[in-house]
Amino acid sequence: MIGAIVRKEIVSNLLSYKFFVVLLLMVLLVATTLFIMYRDFSARLADYQVIRPEPGAPIAVVPPNALSIFAKGLDNAMTRSFEIGVLGVDVRAGQSSGNIIYSFFPTPDFLYVVRVVLSLVALLFGFDQISREREQGTLKLMLSGPVSRAKVLFGKWLGNFISLAVPFLLVTLLGLAVLLLDPNIHFSSGELGRFGLILALSLLYMAFFLSLGILVSALTRRSATTLIVLLFAWALLVFVLPNLGTLIARQFVSVPSVRALSEKREQTWTREVLLGLSDRGNWAAHYRAINREDDRMEEDYRLKFERLVRLARTINRLSPAAGLLDAATEIAGTGIDEESRLKAEVVRYKNSILDRIIGDQLAGKRDAQYPAFAYRYRPLGEVFAAGALVDTAWLAIFNILVFALAYAGFARADVR
Amino acid sequence: MTDTPAILKADGLTKRYEDGVLALDRLNLEVRPGEIYCLLGANGAGKTTTINLFLGFLPPTAGTCLINGIDITRDPLEAKKYVSFVSENVMLYGNFTARQNLEFFAKLGGRTALTKADTAQAMRRVSLQEKAFDQRVKNFSKGMRQKLGIAIAIVKDAPAVLLDEPTSGLDPKAAAEFLEIMAELRREGKAVLMSTHDVFRAKEIGDRVGIMREGRLAVERTRAELRNADLNRIYIDYMESETAPAAA
Repeated sequence: MIGAIVRKEIVSNLLSYKFFVVLLLMVLLVATTLFIMYRDFSARLADYQVIRPEPGAPIAVVPPNALSIFAKGLDNAMTRSFEIGVLGVDVRAGQSSGNIIYSFFPTPDFLYVVRVVLSLVALLFGFDQISREREQGTLKLMLSGPVSRAKVLFGKWLGNFISLAVPFLLVTLLGLAVLLLDPNIHFSSGELGRFGLILALSLLYMAFFLSLGILVSALTRRSATTLIVLLFAWALLVFVLPNLGTLIARQFVSVPSVRALSEKREQTWTREVLLGLSDRGNWAAHYRAINREDDRMEEDYRLKFERLVRLARTINRLSPAAGLLDAATEIAGTGIDEESRLKAEVVRYKNSILDRIIGDQLAGKRDAQYPAFAYRYRPLGEVFAAGALVDTAWLAIFNILVFALAYAGFARADVR
Repeated sequence: MTDTPAILKADGLTKRYEDGVLALDRLNLEVRPGEIYCLLGANGAGKTTTINLFLGFLPPTAGTCLINGIDITRDPLEAKKYVSFVSENVMLYGNFTARQNLEFFAKLGGRTALTKADTAQAMRRVSLQEKAFDQRVKNFSKGMRQKLGIAIAIVKDAPAVLLDEPTSGLDPKAAAEFLEIMAELRREGKAVLMSTHDVFRAKEIGDRVGIMREGRLAVERTRAELRNADLNRIYIDYMESETAPAAA
């Protein structure tokens, strides 16, 4: 019986204008975003070839992450070049596509399309599932048969989920297949697995909004009312709540600004230079003092920043959109945690070669060779243990909760 | 006929809505196999509430509603296996063809192995034109939709049929065809409970006619009793009397 309802929903969708408009929108958006992000990635890859350090140079730089095509996250910040000198780490500009228009019109990545557009599309599919049938009178005829409301609800949900998920997956996988045709873009099997997980999370996220649509549809009598309520809920969940967490967290955790850090660094530098001049140039000790002070400030900043991020994330988990963003970017290797880890690795690299750099500098050695910086992205197990599992679990809980509420609403709904 | 057990049975059925309105007051009613029971009454008399209670769309405040001996409140899914329903305005999926609608609702009714010939036969029985079988329902007239609704009820082949104002808005030809189908259902031994405003058709087709007023069954007459009586007069008299009389 569920099969009949699922089939009915799919056929019904295939015969509706709504489906074709949504399908067209999805094809256009996914194709456009993948194309633009692919161009951006290619340009950054070309930049990387230019700024890539010569063998032995004390420069830490990682190539752009191919998964940033789908979930850009902090990849721009992560692919900057970190040059190690006697005064510490000098952060240089990294790879950028160089097209100024992108700063004016930030490109929505695939994840943005999922978070904003796919959620809205799922709501548009769910918003009239119960109220429309009630208005039409078909719900009464449907429930006059020996079919439980649970089966009707699940059949409707599944039919609409398939109607949405299949075209979404087809368009996305087609986009991926086209990307794979470019010999410059290489996805390892691990990266493809990560991409598969991002897709699975996207489907979980979409399912939540579909259930939410059905829930409100079961609680309201008119489709027009359902739509207004859902648009409000969508704006709240996708735009307001994900920013609210950060705003609230800032009231509780104070993190020094980047400018304040620079000021402090300059003060330390000036102090040590003056001390160096007064003790007749024991520069090695002063360089080390500057680095120690820098590391201490950096560590202090990092701890406060991590506290801020943790609190903001906890609050933001009220929104599935924030949960999806956090989990997907961490899985892609472009998230906040990965960026912090990269920075810590750069500091570790600096400290491992600092004595040699200072020695070589003071000895006037210009062509000294240093070990290369190597960075490995965290394995998936670590990513999930650090928070992605909680985000995924939250998304799953949201789904179960909203579907259960939708059932409770529908079970008590007056179908007359 | 009175010896056979009733397929539809309302026993002290009472419904008081949350706003305090007493829609149905201790209704006792039985419909046996091969019998057509017509419920007459003004708007708000409790006819549709009775149908809704039989379908389990509303919980009764008191009393029971039995379909084939099964209490609809206790075991709604089992009880609904034995009943078909045709509403006043048969609303179907406009983008689906008549056949697709029929197949879908038949499956929900438990008829999962219907062949194309079965669906065609059901639609022919209700005199739906062959060319309409594979047309989208959104272009159907009310009469055609009503016929398809009855075809859906027929194809389920349940022993009881509930009809809520089925002739409302039908043209005379469609209404006459409808009465033919009802007579056929009676011959097949179905127990039919029909709410209607149409006094003349109720007299023509009903084996028993009940007149409801303010949630109570005010009067009940058999076909034999009505043969030489003016049902229209009886109806108007009961509607115009100041207090609702007890069932006579």
